[in-house]
Amino acid sequence: MDKVGVFLCTGCGLSDAFDVDKVIEAADEAGCACNLTHECLCAPEGLEAIKGAISENELNGILVAACSDRAKTQEFASLTEDGPMMFRVALREHCAWPLKDAEDDEDKTMLAQDMVRMGLARLDGFKVIEKLDEEISDTVMVVGSGRAGLEAALTAAGLGHPVVLVEKDDKLGGLLADQVSIVPEEPPYEAPEANPVPKLIEEITANDEIKVLTTTNIVEIDGQPGQFKVQLNGSSGLEMTVGSIVQATGSKPYDASKLGHLGYGASPDIVTSQEFEKMLAAGKIACPSDGRTPQRVAYIQCAGSRDENHLPYCSSECCTNTLRQMMEVKKIDPSIENAVIYKDIRAPGQLEYFFLAAQKNAEAMMTRGEVDKIECNGKLSIHMSTSMLGDNVTVDADLVVLAVGMVPNSADGELVRELIDSRHQAEHSESSQVREASAARAEELKDHEGTEILNLTYRQGPDLPTLKYGFPDSHFICFPYETRRTGIYAAGTVHSPMDSVQAAEDGLGAAMKAVQCIEMAKRGEAVHPRAGDTSYPEFFLQRCTQCKRCTEECPFGTINEDEKGTPEFFPLRCRRCGICMGACPERIINFQDYSVLMIAEMIKAIEVPDEDDEKPRILALMCENDAVPALEAAAENGATWNPWTRIIPIRCLGSTNIVWLAEALSSGIDGVILIGCKHGDDYQCHYVRGSELANTRLENVGETLQRLALEPERIQFVELSHDESGRIPQLLDDFAEELDEMGPNPLKGF
Amino acid sequence: MASIPVIQSSSDFREKFFDRGGENAARCYQCATCSSVCELAPANAPFPRRQILWAQWGLEDRLMTDAGPWLCYQCNDCSVRCPREVNPGDVMASIRAMMVEKMAFPAFLGSLVGNVKKTWPLLVIAPIIFWIVLLGVNTGLAPVHPHHDLQASTTLGQFFYDAYVPHSLIYAVYFTAVGWVALALFMQGKKFWAALGTQQKRQGTLIGALAGVFVSIALHSKFSDCDRGMGKRRWGHFLVMWGFVGAAITSGFAVVYLYGDTPWFSWFFKILPGETPGYPVEITHWVKWLGNGSAIALVLGGLLLWFNRRNSTDKLVGVTTPFDRFFLWIVLAVIGTGVFTEVFRFIPGVTPMVGFGVYIIHLGVVLCLFLTLPYSKFAHILYRTLAMAHERLTVESE
Repeated sequence: MDKVGVFLCTGCGLSDAFDVDKVIEAADEAGCACNLTHECLCAPEGLEAIKGAISENELNGILVAACSDRAKTQEFASLTEDGPMMFRVALREHCAWPLKDAEDDEDKTMLAQDMVRMGLARLDGFKVIEKLDEEISDTVMVVGSGRAGLEAALTAAGLGHPVVLVEKDDKLGGLLADQVSIVPEEPPYEAPEANPVPKLIEEITANDEIKVLTTTNIVEIDGQPGQFKVQLNGSSGLEMTVGSIVQATGSKPYDASKLGHLGYGASPDIVTSQEFEKMLAAGKIACPSDGRTPQRVAYIQCAGSRDENHLPYCSSECCTNTLRQMMEVKKIDPSIENAVIYKDIRAPGQLEYFFLAAQKNAEAMMTRGEVDKIECNGKLSIHMSTSMLGDNVTVDADLVVLAVGMVPNSADGELVRELIDSRHQAEHSESSQVREASAARAEELKDHEGTEILNLTYRQGPDLPTLKYGFPDSHFICFPYETRRTGIYAAGTVHSPMDSVQAAEDGLGAAMKAVQCIEMAKRGEAVHPRAGDTSYPEFFLQRCTQCKRCTEECPFGTINEDEKGTPEFFPLRCRRCGICMGACPERIINFQDYSVLMIAEMIKAIEVPDEDDEKPRILALMCENDAVPALEAAAENGATWNPWTRIIPIRCLGSTNIVWLAEALSSGIDGVILIGCKHGDDYQCHYVRGSELANTRLENVGETLQRLALEPERIQFVELSHDESGRIPQLLDDFAEELDEMGPNPLKGF
Repeated sequence: MASIPVIQSSSDFREKFFDRGGENAARCYQCATCSSVCELAPANAPFPRRQILWAQWGLEDRLMTDAGPWLCYQCNDCSVRCPREVNPGDVMASIRAMMVEKMAFPAFLGSLVGNVKKTWPLLVIAPIIFWIVLLGVNTGLAPVHPHHDLQASTTLGQFFYDAYVPHSLIYAVYFTAVGWVALALFMQGKKFWAALGTQQKRQGTLIGALAGVFVSIALHSKFSDCDRGMGKRRWGHFLVMWGFVGAAITSGFAVVYLYGDTPWFSWFFKILPGETPGYPVEITHWVKWLGNGSAIALVLGGLLLWFNRRNSTDKLVGVTTPFDRFFLWIVLAVIGTGVFTEVFRFIPGVTPMVGFGVYIIHLGVVLCLFLTLPYSKFAHILYRTLAMAHERLTVESE
């Protein structure tokens, strides 16, 4: 941008915090086209003044030096409609508030001046964004037709989108299809309710907007959100383009044949809850061995669930399902006794009432206990070494129902890819060591062969990456439904263990995300988490060395590569985090308003005083999603810190390019602190792996620093969660103190 | 390995149990709030959580051999705090009622009293009719010549009941009844003591343990261990218990004095100072004071208990089952008719026939009280005492 105006707010106490004239002076020196101060920029008068200055000076860039871009967002956004590009610097949150106790007014003014210079440097690099304008398909494809899939299809159709519902079986309904009833979903939650699936299927079949394809598998999905090219096999053999995808492939019951200690297979009278459901549906409860009516049915809860040797997790619906089955038993034959052996009865939310109703009406005998084994000697004897009925007790039953947990119908895309890569390496690698190691790894992963469901043509694997226990998810607390593939949303029991009503809600939510994805793609905007962002990375491929770092490191599989390894970028898959930008050693990946060069220029714009002035300078590169809001919350709550720190919010720590650190230290800045999200198993990074990747990159920087005769401690990496704003002042001041002890950067003044 | 037998159908037990006030046991989810708030539950066999679980599973054998229910004073600390409105205090009361019935000797009388909801008219009216028939046969319900030739006076009363009811009949009936009650209690106690022994090991003798138990009972000290609203219960029960003890002593002396000059009882006055005051005993005599004092204690205690039960709106007092109600009404009826039987003799103008009528009812309900004692709530005298002795003798396990 060549014509940039600086607009400085003097309200909110800013004029008392620093010398406004000197800040304006600094802006003029940095070469702004015009400047303006106003006592309340966000007020209509202030906004009008800016608009006036824009048209008068024909500005194409504006620097709003006022408050954080989390404040007055709508007001200032109105300035950019069909107008100039804007950058905001948070003088209030990053200067006035945290420095309110600083003794030296000069320091405050110097910080404000630096911030304005940095802002101008950033704006100087801005390029006009040509919005993505691609042809976007309106169609939502739903994979799987259980309750979640059916609800997703109806929701998307209800929002006016054509839907393709793909089911591998010959009929719709999934696991619930043949269930006699479901746990209650409406008050008073006291009795089983009618299975809603048949009615949903009727609605789906009657809906012209929904194209139902049974006995159909996916051969391949190519392309990107808005333009997924789908090839199907089966009866249809179709090819089509869809905008987004809901994966509702559900789950399967855990393989009971692995539950030898519970006697499955040893007696025909030991059945799974799914097998028992068939008896309930038929209205006749009989022991499979001889057809007699059982006097007592015993239900073993957590059969294989919450068990390190089988499924380590709780499948969430087996407890309430058993309660329901007991009630159904009493409907068929009130003389049959129900006995339950559980680890904990988990009847979440309102289903507590259902639990109570089952206790009263199903005359359930229930005890906590750990089943050691089940013996078959005419009757079935359930041995428990510990139970509430006492230690070493046996409960007899005629029929045992194992409440087995659920296993997601998912494929681990990343491991499938690793399998393919390992096989390739095992054959083609030049090193015999690599060949052996790869062959061993391929052997370990061989179970993943043929598990593919979506068959994506993504470089990083044909299916969604899974998080834990095989459930594909990316961030279940902050971003439900999101997976690590843009435009593909998981719903229902493939997403996480859940019961029928939760699956319905999940399907609904995922469908709304799928629709949102299409609508935003049409507007050329990013959908998540930088919703509405119109910028996107551009690749200057002439200088690409085909190192594949970008294709490897993108957590979202955005970039494919051709045979030579040249990246093939799919902008609609992109989340705009900039991890590829941080990864690229050639610095050829840049956004229109966020680039390696722009941040480098911002760093250069920091005025570094001489050693004698005893005014150190510290650069803080902070994650704009978690660390910056935490810092601003700290400032708002009255926290104060040193006046030496210069803060640059960045999209993700993963976008940190090593060159910035070199730039900072060589310009005499005494130290750099990088504050990002927690990583590891319980990561909080919006982009899954960003802060982890930044940390890895920093490990390599230490050596470089030592070669330059600089202490590696001058660069520090800190993990901070969103709620740890209280740590901010300490973090910044401790680092300043450490640098003070180290002495000034010897490169100052060079 | 202990084995929980297959209960072919627990519905019989459940139905019966629910009928006796334990229906809320089904609601329990075994959080053990009840056991942890209970001040009385012994550490080695805490109640009432496990008893509720056993009730849910229909483990009749375990419930019927457990001392826990009898160590519970039903202060309802647990019922107030139970998050699921199980009212464990009531469940324990139901278990006690079931045990009284289960231990009954002979069994049919146990179930007769156990089903008091339906059988109460029979239980109350039959003894009264029995007395009317007995007197009808012996005296034709008319005054007979008394064996004392007495003059009515302000201290001796306006009329004398032995003119209507010969003492010989009273002895014949009540000595037999007392003998029967003693036999029944002995048989039940033996059965219960053996049953308790199957659950927990004991060390020491019953006699040794009883001494301590009696002191505890005499002072009602265990009541004070419960911390909730037990003041009225404690002193009400204290008065009623000692009132009954006083009434029993009074009755004993009445017999002794009446027959003080016979060889059967003359020995008594050789060891005791004083001589037989003859019959009827003057109202100023210490035995009369004891008797009247006991009556006042009974009335006061009974009223305290009654109002405590009626005025409590929360769960401090549990539900009143027919089993409880029958017991309470019989006790109140005995006290009431007893008091009026005496008072009418001193009110001028009350005809002998009115006093006689009340007296017959009194005799009837006393007989009812005697005969149902081993099977009604009154049986707690036996079971609680034995359970307390059992608790003292149990070996601390683990």
